[in-house]
Amino acid sequence: MKENSFYSDDFEELIRGKTEQYKMYPSENVWKGVHSALHTKRKWFIGSMAFLVTGILFMAGRELILPSNHPALHKSATGAVADVAKPAVENTPHAPMANLRPANTAAATRHNDSDNDIASQEWDPAVAGISITVGHPVLSQSDLSEWLSHVVKLPAQAPDLNVIAARTPATDNNALAALTHDDGRGTADDGRATGDDGRLAGDSRTTGSEIGTDGLTAQNVIESLSARGAHEGRYARTNAALQTSTDNRSGVNGQSLLAQSAGASTRASAKEIAESEDAQRANWLHDYAMNLLETTPKSGRTYLELSLSPTVSYRSMGGSDAGADKLYPLGVNGTPPGGPNSYIDHRPGFGFEASGTILYRLTRNLSIKGGLQFNFTRFPIKAYEDNGANGTAATTTLQSPYGIMMDSISSTGMPLARSGKQTSVTVYNDYYQLSAPVGFELRVLGNEQLQFNLAATIAPTYLLNSSSYMLSSGYTRYDKSPAMYRKLNFYAGAEAFLSYRVGNIRWQIGPELRYQLLSSYTSQSGMSEYLKSYGLKIGITKSIP
Amino acid sequence: MTEEAILQGCLKNEAAAQRELYNRYSPKMLAVCYRFAHNREDAEDMLQEGFIKVFSQMHTFQNKGAFEGWIRRIIVHTCINNLKKNKRFNESLDIVHAHGVQVREESVPSIVQAKQIVECIRILPIGYRTVLNLYAIEGYSHKEIADMLDIEESTSRSQYTRAKQMLEEILIRKKILTKPKEKTEWLVAVR
Repeated sequence: MKENSFYSDDFEELIRGKTEQYKMYPSENVWKGVHSALHTKRKWFIGSMAFLVTGILFMAGRELILPSNHPALHKSATGAVADVAKPAVENTPHAPMANLRPANTAAATRHNDSDNDIASQEWDPAVAGISITVGHPVLSQSDLSEWLSHVVKLPAQAPDLNVIAARTPATDNNALAALTHDDGRGTADDGRATGDDGRLAGDSRTTGSEIGTDGLTAQNVIESLSARGAHEGRYARTNAALQTSTDNRSGVNGQSLLAQSAGASTRASAKEIAESEDAQRANWLHDYAMNLLETTPKSGRTYLELSLSPTVSYRSMGGSDAGADKLYPLGVNGTPPGGPNSYIDHRPGFGFEASGTILYRLTRNLSIKGGLQFNFTRFPIKAYEDNGANGTAATTTLQSPYGIMMDSISSTGMPLARSGKQTSVTVYNDYYQLSAPVGFELRVLGNEQLQFNLAATIAPTYLLNSSSYMLSSGYTRYDKSPAMYRKLNFYAGAEAFLSYRVGNIRWQIGPELRYQLLSSYTSQSGMSEYLKSYGLKIGITKSIP
Repeated sequence: MTEEAILQGCLKNEAAAQRELYNRYSPKMLAVCYRFAHNREDAEDMLQEGFIKVFSQMHTFQNKGAFEGWIRRIIVHTCINNLKKNKRFNESLDIVHAHGVQVREESVPSIVQAKQIVECIRILPIGYRTVLNLYAIEGYSHKEIADMLDIEESTSRSQYTRAKQMLEEILIRKKILTKPKEKTEWLVAVR
């Protein structure tokens, strides 16, 4: 390759010798470019994981935040709005609901039968809406049947009056108690029931214990109908006779209603008889819904929690000073006294955590939880640009489990201390981790609406990637030594938070602390670094049916 | 880590081993690139491209020679390939054009001797510099240089002769070297 005359020329030899001595240290971007070109699989993995997590969060967020798409609720909302715009004096009872009603329902059949048998001759559209026992609303029987048909399959035909009369005394007290106990839910003074928007879905006060498997309950239906009836009542209450009848029925006494009905048969007109019939049927429906329907199961014990926490991260260094005597028993390489904290300049930095957690409620106040969490931790450190004045290499010693130096890594890096006219630079230590926290959550104070909770977790954590500088063994330089970082670690976390329920979502906010239990570096490094993060956790929780 | 362990790790595409190899050789290789390149940024680009080739062609290393030499050859070829993409570089290899080139002496800094010499090499016209680098420092023959640069072997020889003369003049003028009475006794003027 080389011509023989090369080494005979002193000039060439001199040039060659001198140029061989010269070294230059490339910027970190060069390695990043090399690394990213060589490890495209990791990029795909990270990209896929990010896409997956984003998709899960999107789907979960959509389920939690947006209203349910249950068809029955759509019907309720649509029907309510449509009916507000129309007076309840149409010849076809509640045309909007009729449009939404299934073509062949038992309720529709029953409605037609009742029209034909009892009140068909004197059917007054203004009176067609009847008041159920919750007080003020004016509703048609077909609407009740329509609504209740979503809840449970009703008997093909309502029982006759004798059956109602026979059963009413036994259940009347219960029904009355339920209605009066239920915090005035059905009274005419209920502000929500008379709200102007008339949107049943918005008025729904479904609690966790009232949610059925299909999202509807009898209580919910009655309540929604009450709200709807309030609007219609504005039109229908022009009928004084009906108003009187309604007021009389507000006592919710099936027996008295039956007595009224019996008395009316002798002294009242056919119109009043028809009203009483309707009222009794409505009472029966309500009684059926309130007392005879199977109790809807309570909400599940399982909850989904999504949270995001901006954090401030910091670290505590240690290690080589404590193990210096062991590390260099023969004085191989003097470790400066005082420990690394005396030599480094680092400050807290901002990061974040995002998590999805499943909680299982063991008791009223205690829940256990487990999930997945992504952590991004960052803090800045101060160093100086390298101009060769601080030596040329950083040395990281490798020690055995007994603290004896076994080997060393010599690499380039940035000096910690200024030497001559060096420019200070701020570089960042970044950690990307995936952890699986498990722990418990304890309700300390509060009620169902507002609570104060404490929680603690422990989390096995995997280091996905890092871009961080490690202190060399002599505390002279920072260096990137990815092989020295521990992949699997453990974190302990504690948090205290306030939670407030809005609808069926519980919002929570509170401080949290997360501490790394094992050093970021492997035991070979002789150095130790413990990360800790202080954060403000903001989360939402929803029951999983 | 031993070089054998690093090589095995690199063959398994382990990032830690690759980083260790990079840390070990990148300073020297960047200095090589810097002697060929127009500026430091170009040199880093060449270095990056060269190391990607090194890692991706690691399996072709036969353990027959020094590993550093193998890396160096890849880096040098990468530099040459980059230079050949530059039209000015190709023109500068023309011996006629090279005659009238003036040296930018004011750009030579006075820091340390090794760096001074490198900077003096870098102020040579790019054609001269490339041939000088390849022949005097990297140890290629004129025939190999001619093949690499797609020029005549005689052109390489003449380019080198002129480059050497020009560099001597610059180093003497900068008082980095003193010209000896006998040509085999070059002395370093500045320590």
